[in-house]
Formats: sequence, C-alpha cells, structure tokens
Amino acid sequence: MTQVPARDAEHYALGTVGVSKNFGGVQALHRLSISIPKGQITCVIGPNGSGKSTLINILSGVLPMDSGMVIVDGVGLRTVHPYETPDLGITRTFQDVRLFNQISVMDNIMVVLTERKLWPSLFQRSKSEHRQRAEQVLRDVGMWDKRDAMAEDLSYGQRKLLEMARAMALDVNIYLFDEPFAGLFPQMLVRVKDILKQLRAREKSILFISHNMEIVRELSDHLIVMDSGELLVEGDVDEVLAKQEVIEAYLGA
Amino acid sequence: MRRLIASGSRQGNILAIALATLVVAYLAWKVTESPSQSVQFAFNGLSVGAVYALLAMGFTLVYSTVWFFDLYYGAAAAIGAYSVFYLRSKEAIGGLYQVQNPVVNVLFAAVVAGVVAWALYEILWPRLRGRVSQRGMYGIVAAAGAAAGVYSGLVFTYTDNIHLLFGPVAGLAIGVIVALGVREALQRLTGDEGGRVAAYVSAAVGMAVAVVAAALIAGTPETKLYLSWAVSCLLAGCVGLGIYRGLYVTLRQRARSPLVMLVASMGILLAISAAITIVFESAPRPLPDAFGSRPLEIAGGNIKGFNFFTVGVSLVGFAGLLWLLQRTSFGRSVRAIGDDEDVSKVVGINTTVVIAIVFFIGAVFAAMAGILSGHDTAIQPRMGLLLLLKGWIASVVGGIGNLYGALVGGFALGMVEQFGIWDLAGEWKDVISFVVLILFLSFWPKGLLPRK
Amino acid sequence: MATNTPETTEEGRRPGLIPRLANGNVELWANLIVLVWVIAFVLWQGVGFAITIGTVFAIWAILAVSLNLVIGFTGLLSVAHIGFFGIGAYSVAILTSKTDYSLLRTEGIPTYELPFFAALPVGIALAGLTALVVGVVFNRFRDDVFVLVSFGFAIISFNLFLNARAITRGAFGIHDVARPVIGTRVLDGELEFLVMALVCLALVSALAWFIVTSSFGRVLTAIREDEQAASVFGYQVTHYKLAIWVISAMMAAVAGGLFSSWTSFIDPNSFILLESILLVSIVILGGLATIWGSLLGAMTFVLLEEGMRFIPFLPDVYVGQARQVVLGVMLVLLMLFRPQGLLGRYRL
Ligand SMILES: Nc1ncnc2c1ncn2[C@@H]1O[C@H](COP(=O)(O)OP(=O)(O)O)[C@@H](O)[C@H]1O
Ligand SMILES: [Mg+2]
Repeated sequence: MTQVPARDAEHYALGTVGVSKNFGGVQALHRLSISIPKGQITCVIGPNGSGKSTLINILSGVLPMDSGMVIVDGVGLRTVHPYETPDLGITRTFQDVRLFNQISVMDNIMVVLTERKLWPSLFQRSKSEHRQRAEQVLRDVGMWDKRDAMAEDLSYGQRKLLEMARAMALDVNIYLFDEPFAGLFPQMLVRVKDILKQLRAREKSILFISHNMEIVRELSDHLIVMDSGELLVEGDVDEVLAKQEVIEAYLGA
Repeated sequence: MRRLIASGSRQGNILAIALATLVVAYLAWKVTESPSQSVQFAFNGLSVGAVYALLAMGFTLVYSTVWFFDLYYGAAAAIGAYSVFYLRSKEAIGGLYQVQNPVVNVLFAAVVAGVVAWALYEILWPRLRGRVSQRGMYGIVAAAGAAAGVYSGLVFTYTDNIHLLFGPVAGLAIGVIVALGVREALQRLTGDEGGRVAAYVSAAVGMAVAVVAAALIAGTPETKLYLSWAVSCLLAGCVGLGIYRGLYVTLRQRARSPLVMLVASMGILLAISAAITIVFESAPRPLPDAFGSRPLEIAGGNIKGFNFFTVGVSLVGFAGLLWLLQRTSFGRSVRAIGDDEDVSKVVGINTTVVIAIVFFIGAVFAAMAGILSGHDTAIQPRMGLLLLLKGWIASVVGGIGNLYGALVGGFALGMVEQFGIWDLAGEWKDVISFVVLILFLSFWPKGLLPRK
Repeated sequence: MATNTPETTEEGRRPGLIPRLANGNVELWANLIVLVWVIAFVLWQGVGFAITIGTVFAIWAILAVSLNLVIGFTGLLSVAHIGFFGIGAYSVAILTSKTDYSLLRTEGIPTYELPFFAALPVGIALAGLTALVVGVVFNRFRDDVFVLVSFGFAIISFNLFLNARAITRGAFGIHDVARPVIGTRVLDGELEFLVMALVCLALVSALAWFIVTSSFGRVLTAIREDEQAASVFGYQVTHYKLAIWVISAMMAAVAGGLFSSWTSFIDPNSFILLESILLVSIVILGGLATIWGSLLGAMTFVLLEEGMRFIPFLPDVYVGQARQVVLGVMLVLLMLFRPQGLLGRYRL
C-alpha cells in the first residue's frame, strides 16, 4: 500500500531510501523511503513520536542513520555529516528552537553567513556584504529593530522567527522546518506562512512538519503521512487527504 | 535521563574487552610470578578501595539526585578528618598540640544551631500550624537551635570531656535505634500495625538501653575517639546541609546550568580548604591511633586490622544506603527527585527537605571516608579535592547514579591503582586513576553498571 | 543583559559617568575601584615593589586571557591550564639552565644552555603539541565531564613534573633558568623584565582580541551556545574547539616561560591543581568572554594578596590562604548575583 514514487533527480530535491533508526529499543524510523519534490512545499504529518523530527535530524546529518541512504540531488549518501549540509544545499530549524542564546540577534545571523573554513575564518572580519545580507534577512522577517538584543531575551514567537531567519540567511535549495507553526499566535502564524510562500516563490524546496491541518491544506503541495516510524502514505495533498486510511489513522481522531 | 557524554562509541566495547583481557592477563602473570606479593597488593587495593567506595556511594547519591557535581563533597571529607583531629589532637601528637580556637568553636556552634533550627521548623511546623502562631513557632525553633548551638559549642570546647558531654546523646541515639528495631520486630511478630503494646514495650526498652549506654559511654574515657568520629560526621553533615539550605536552594533556582553550581561549590571548596590551612597549618598530621593498627600476616601479605574495619564500614554503609533507597518512602522520594524534580514537587514530595537529607547523608559518607583514610595514613588540609576526585572517578567507573556501581567502582579503582603501581612506582597512582577515568569516559561512558 | 549595556535615557543618550555610577553600573565600579586600588598601592608600597607585583600580574594576566578564550568564548570550563603553563615553564627551564647538575649530589639532568628566546618557542610548540593530543581525546566531552577530565590533565601533568625525575629533577627543581637576552642586553633588571612581560601580555591580548573579533571568534561563541546548531550551519566544531584549545595552551606556555625565567628556579609546587583553580577563579571573577575583564581579574587577584595584609591578627604566612578564602567566597557570591563575572559577556 506504500507507493514509492520514482526518484529521478530532475524532480526530486531530497529523499531517503530504506532509512532506519533505533534508539536503544525504540524504532524511531523503520525502512523509510520518501521523496521531496523540487520547488514545492512538502509537509510531514503524523502523531507525536512517529519519527518526524528524527527524519529531519537524519536528513540534516544531526543523527547518523543505522541503515539506508539519503538522496540529495540524485546522489545517494550513506552518511551525512552535519557540517556538510550547507554544501549539499540543506538547512534546517529545530523543534525546540535552538538559537545561539547569549549573542546578539545580528550575530546569530552573521554566524551562518561568514567563512566556514577554519583558517580563513581567523582572518575574516565582518564584511559589509555579510552585514547587508543579514540586515536584509532581518528586515524580511521584521526583526531589524531587535538586532542588538540578545537572542535569549526575545519572546517565543520572535525566537521562532529568528530561527527561520537564520536558516533563510543561507541561500540553499532545501529548507527543513521542524514544526514552524507550533505555539505561535495568529499574527505570527501569518508571518511564518508568508515566509514559506516567499521561499516557494523563489523555487526552493521546503519540508515542514505541522499538526495544523488547515495550514497543511493551505500551504503544502506534497504530503507525507508517518506513523510509528513508517511511511503511511505519500503523494499529492488532495489525493492523500482523500484516502480512507489517512482519515482513519490521523484525521479521524 | 541526562546525557552525560556528548557521544559514545560502539568500537568502545571491543576495545574495552581487549583492555580487560590485557588487564586480566597481566594480573594472572603477576599472581603466578609472586603470589605473596599479589596478596599484599590485593590487601592494599581492598583498603584503598573501601575508602573510594564510601566516597563514590555518597557522591553518586548526591549527584543522581540533584544532577550537579558538588565539590563541597571533598571539603566534607577534610572537615570530618580535621574535626577528629581538632577533638583529639592531644592524643595524636602526644599532648603537645591542641588547636582549640574559640572562633572555630563559635562557627561550628552556629552551623549546628542553624541546621537544628531549620530541621525542627520543617518537622514541627506542618504539625503545629494553626495551634501555634508563626511568631511563637520562630521562638520555639530559635530557642531549640540556640540550645543545640550552646551544647555543640561545649562539646567542641571541652574536648577532653567529650565522653561526658556527648555520651548521653550517643546513648540516646543507640536507644532510639534499639527502640525502633524492637517496635518493628514486635509488630512483625504480632502482626499488629501501630499497636499500643509494641509502642510501650519498645519505648521502655529503648529508654533502658539509652540510660545504660549513656552511662557506659560516659564512664569509659576510651570511647573518646569513637565519639569524636560521630561528632565529626555529624558536623560535616550539618555543614553540608547548611550549605544546601543556605545557598544551593537559592542558587539552583537561579542557575541556568549545572556549571554554575559546580563553580559555586568550587568556591566553597577553595574557601574551606584555605580556612582549614589557616587554622591547622598545611603540614600533614596524624590522627590518633585507633584499634588494629598492628599489621596481621595473612597468606603472605600484611594488613592492618583497621583496614578490615574500613572495608566493613563501607559494606555496612552500602547496605544501609541500599536499604534506605530501596525500602523506605524516603528512598522512593529520592529516586523520584532524581528522575524528575519538578514532577516530584507536583506530586507532593517536599523536595527541599529530601534533598537536604541527601546532602547530609552524602557529607557523612565523605566524612567517614576522610576519617578512615586519615587514620590509615595522614590528613592534610587539601586532602579533600583528591579524595573527591577519586570518588568521582570511582562512580564514573562503576556507572554514575548506580549504588551497586559505586561499590564495585570503588573497589575496582582501588585494585587497579594498587596493582598498577606494582611495576611502576607508588607515586604514579593518581596518574593511573585518571588514565582509567579517561579510558572509561571515552569507551565505556556508562560505566560498569549503568543506571537504568 | 540589562545590567551589561549602559542604560540609555529616554532620548537615547547615554547618561553621564556620575549617573551611571550612581545607578550601580557594576562594570564602571569594578574598573574604577581597581584603578584607585592600583594607584593607592603604588603610592603606598613604592615603585620598586610595584614592579615586582606588575610582573606577577603580567604572568597571571596572560594565563587568564588565554584561559578565557577556552572558558568564556568557547564554553569549556577547563581546569587543565596549569599543565600547559608548566610545560612552557619546564621547557624553558630545562633548555636554558646552566647548572652542572653532576656537581650537585642530587639527581642530574643534561644541560642545553640555550638562550631564552630559543627555548621559549620550543616550549610553546611542545605545549601546543600536547594540547593537540589531549584535545583530540577531550573533544568529545563537555560540561561537567569536561571539568573532570581537565582536572585529570592537571593532576597527570603535575605528577609528570614531580616524578619524571630524569627530565625535571622532580622535587629538587631546576636552577639558574636564563633571563632573556635581546641583542647583547641581558634583561637582568626587574624593570626590564616587567617591560618584557608587559610586551608579551600586550601581544597575547592583541592576538586574543584579533581572534575573538574575527569570524572565527563568532563561531566559537556559537559553538559555546549550541554545538549541534553550529555544526548544521557548516562548521566542523571539533576542529574549531581543538584550534582554540591549542592556541590557548600555547599562550599559557608563554606565561610559563616568562615565569620560570623570572623566578630563575622552578619546582613542581608552582604547578599544583590549586593554582589552576585559582586561575579559573580569576577568569570568572574578571568576567567571561571579555579580554579586558581577564586583565582586571588578574589585577584584582594580585592586589588582593596585598590587601590581605591589612587584616589584623593575620600572620603574613597566611595571607595567601586568606586570599583563597576571599576568592572562594567571591566565586559563590558571583554565582549568586552575577554569573558572568564582573565584566562578563557570558553567563555560565
Ligand atoms: N535522541 C533521542 N534519544 C532517544 N530516543 C529518541 C531520541 N530522539 C527521538 N527519540 C525517540 O524516537 C521516537 C520518535 O521521535 P521524534 O522523531 O521526535 O517524533 P516526532 O517528531 O514525530 O514527534 C520517539 O519515540 C522518541 O522518544
Ligand atoms: Mg518532533
């Protein structure tokens, strides 16, 4: 009943083949194969603990996979190192909002813009092009006036926004957002939605996790439904949402 | 569960097995080469290991409850040992050297007064609330605290009469323990929960025992040394409890990371060690001779009777702690707090009191270790830090947060240290310990017996 | 961070010095008090003694600045620094000592009689190399476990200094460590040495400043805050941590070389664990993640000892101990009320 769409590099930005991940006794992912279409918004839904965050962690190299492969632009990788992900064109946010707390908002953005190689970075002062880019990113999410505040002093919504801004400062092709809408007030929700739409307009591939079905319907093109570490269904949003088993397993509840 | 280590490693198991095989092979070779000498090293390892085990048990108890490394723990060992010296220094150095410093006495008395007042308040207030006004309560508690302070001041000042002064209290403690035991036994026998008869009988027996014991102790000046052990352990415990209640409770509410606690306790250790140096000078000092200081020859090796006593103390300490943690409601609270402090608070555990008791017990264990090792070798103002580190290592080796692990780890570390210096020299034993630590942390971070 | 940034009035102007002092601006007060203290001390003790104290300050300050790179900027609470200090000191001592130890009836070691400026780079390189090896092993640890293993390094290195008698002469120590020679001029005088030490301090501080204001420095702070997040943005965090660890160790070796040349005799007692704890206290007292703070902390530490002499009834031999008591209490108070230290930019 699980259909695995053809994985041709032209249409898919990112994917997994038979990825498994165990935590002690807990099988967080079981032979999971999914694909993320290029230039579209993909949403992952599934009950708590079904392995959605683990999927993002593996795609971004934060966790090593036990078996299987991650496919980036048609190339299969058995291991992904986190520090390679920007070069692979991937960046992400975390479910539990992980900012660099005790440095300024501006520096939070600057960190991702500057030189990544160790030795050259020693001789790099902050360049005006980096500062301009950071300013632009902060203005885009409406946080320019907060630039000198410490990241830890921001409100929850602002922190969430800043984390997205930090990811977007990197001009990559694939964005992975772990529950970007969780815990936000309606006002903020609109801003985050706008961000996703902007990214799609720029033909970026996006994967996000959400529990809010309205948002899922509104935003996503492609839908992945997971349950207990396995793929339940994957496909076009309308098709998937029409399926009986999805309604039973997830929406019906 | 906290994540102690950033990353573990799977190849570690292979390396661990290889290393263990090597160690065993080395041991086998050594033992066949010189059996009598290996008995000697085993004895040494046993007596050192017993001290490490004591340290590791207290350490692990505290750490797995509050999840920060409390360096005061090392100071507690030094306080215990130096308190024995303070009380009995005349006997240690042949009547030449007696410290007796009024400032120190007042300080100790103040600590005891504070701790007793707080403890009484915590015990009495929930029961007397409504019957006594808040102010009246403070009056009662302050009076009791002051009395305890004056009393402990006397005990510390008239050290020559410690058997007269402290004997009755020790007798009372024995009486209470006997009474509790008798009541438990009677209730088991008659199957009668909370029966009147059991209560009356046990109270009577307890009182009788208390009177006899008090009279016996007070009439036997030879008990002075052992009384000073008790006083010293209580003192170290009180200081630990005082630091917890007076400082750590506030600090933990503000602290953003366990490192804040670690640094603060480092300050405490620094201050206390330096203060001890000022009062007692930095030179190593002996503690007075306890029993069993003559070596016995067993199976070709020499061991002091006192070392057997040390091993015994660590085993009894282990059994007691195990009983406390596994069988009593206090133990259940401790484990609940270790698993999740906030939830424990919500389900109605008085976390402050439970943790205070944990700190008290931990400090008592450290003090026992300090005293026992002091009798075995000598004491130094800065002995605390090294003892603390050894206890820390032993609990890592055994598996942090696991009481069995602490016992095993302590003895294992003692053995490794002693057998390790067979071919090297004695001065390398600290290096051996830390190499063991780094190996364990790198390849076997959960220790021999991981906490579940 | 409200306490850190100078409070601005409603119009956005910074208030004047006096209002800020009156508002209890800790940073200003700390700077002011230490400044007054320094002046008072020089006036009271005379310039000669001040020169001696100044050298002690310079050595502690180099150590503090370098350790702050690791603790304050990278967030690794290391108690290991004294080991690298010792490696620098012993390298310079062994390589420059001129004593013919075969004449002394104690343990002998070979003499090399190198000049100071040839020995110092060797010491620095050796410390760096050791740090590299140790760092590779320690890189996986963090937080309190890192503290524990760093204790381990300090103790192991002390034991090496004490027990590797064939190299260090153990407890006998090493005599006649050479003073630096520039051209034909031997820096024998106290003042000359002070200048030299201050130049070293200035160089080390400048280098530290250069590091922390570069992109590299920003990455270090990011690693301190969240290692994993930093790695997702393309940084190989282990390399960064290793790099700063080695750089910091090499700086400590500079201090070590200066120290052994200055005292001209060293033995293992200068490299005990306690000194390392004092050093950590200095760094925290002065403030985490600030270079100026470390200088201030070292100055406070040095002056504290002199201040202790005012305490009545305290015999002179206990001045050092009394300072430790004060320092310990200060640590506790700082953790309670100001966990970033006096001038700090990072709260533990
Ligand atoms: N670092 C980890 N260590 C142990 N177990 C984990 C870890 N991360 C996730 N898990 C477990 O894996 C399962 C999937 O978790 P997760 O991917 O976070 O689910 P979701 O994001 O869908 O809610 C859960 O049972 C969770 O407890
Ligand atoms: Mg999740």
